[in-house]
Amino acid sequence: MKIRSFGALFRSLSLVFAAAAMACAPAWAHHSFAAEYDSQKPITHKGTVTRIDWMNPHVYIYIDEKSENGKVVNWGFEGYPPNTLRRVGLARDMLKIGDSISVTGWVAKDGSARFAGREITWQDGRKFFVGPPAN
Amino acid sequence: MSKHLFAMAAALVVFPAAAQTPAPAAPSNPIPRTADGKPDLSGIWQALGVSLTGETAAQPGGAYPAAAGGRGARGGPRREAPPYKPELAAKVRALVADPAHSPSAQCMLLGVPATTMNPMPLEIVQTPKKTVILYEVMRAFRIIPSDGRDHPKDLDPTYMGDSVAHWEGDTFVVDVTGFNDKTWLDGAGHFHSDALHVVERYTRTPQDTIHYEATAEDPGVLTKPWKVVDTQLRHPPRDDRVMEYECAQNNIDLPHIIKPAGTN
Repeated sequence: MKIRSFGALFRSLSLVFAAAAMACAPAWAHHSFAAEYDSQKPITHKGTVTRIDWMNPHVYIYIDEKSENGKVVNWGFEGYPPNTLRRVGLARDMLKIGDSISVTGWVAKDGSARFAGREITWQDGRKFFVGPPAN
Repeated sequence: MSKHLFAMAAALVVFPAAAQTPAPAAPSNPIPRTADGKPDLSGIWQALGVSLTGETAAQPGGAYPAAAGGRGARGGPRREAPPYKPELAAKVRALVADPAHSPSAQCMLLGVPATTMNPMPLEIVQTPKKTVILYEVMRAFRIIPSDGRDHPKDLDPTYMGDSVAHWEGDTFVVDVTGFNDKTWLDGAGHFHSDALHVVERYTRTPQDTIHYEATAEDPGVLTKPWKVVDTQLRHPPRDDRVMEYECAQNNIDLPHIIKPAGTN
């Protein structure tokens, strides 16, 4: 795990345990990963946060990404449930509308403008695992 | 004083309640006990072994911690599929290939043992005659009497069934029946009938875990009992309660869940 810029949180044994639990838990507890996303097709999107649905069963976050031809596409990605994110130290207000972020993840099998989110990187270098690994 | 006796004396000092019960198999067993001498199962726990979907966890982010109970790098042994009668093979294949219809994807109650095996927290509240388990996933709960009563004779079928429990030594044994046929045994399409009968065994370990076993019998569907084993790990103290998980709040995945290639 890497929560590089959250050293204080990292020092908490509880957090380490919880993050460890997340890391080894098959965290797609709600639906099958393979039924929706392609673990063989990792992807990175960069854009501006336009919408944050901090809701169950998964947090959904949307970003506007400008492609090379200037066209803007609004991508949505899903992550852990809010409760899981709270337990590992990602508070709701740490991500804001308008933030410029890049997000790694895996593409949707149905070709829609959405993906499974894994790690968010803010412009200042902070990183956080917002969703589980592919399985 | 022999080493053995010293260990026993030490155990009685630390766990005086143990003195009120018949000598346990391991006198130095450090598991905490309740006032009535039973192993204390109370707390927030979470299964980590096998996913609800039957898939093992990948780990591109790093190594697995010791907290996982020494499991392999893939997060745990893959569970054996339930042994279905041959004539049901086509139905099993169709459901296994239909993840959009999993009770979980539909935000329905998951049944037993799938709820316990789901990798979300549960809280066990143990009292001498009744134990309550509160599950975060699907906001499920179970009320489990352990006062010697049997199941009611006129049960209406339910998702979570009817539970009664007793102690076999230091193991809390829960008998569950009265299920409907709407849940899956796991997350992978393994259905059951309303004749399902599950026996769960909860054993507190010295490693601050609960060893969990569940055996499912369903004679009309399975050729023999099907057993799952897992470890429930304790959450850190800061996680002092299960939280609300209203799955239907924003369940927008369903239209995007597709069947694997080659199935129909």
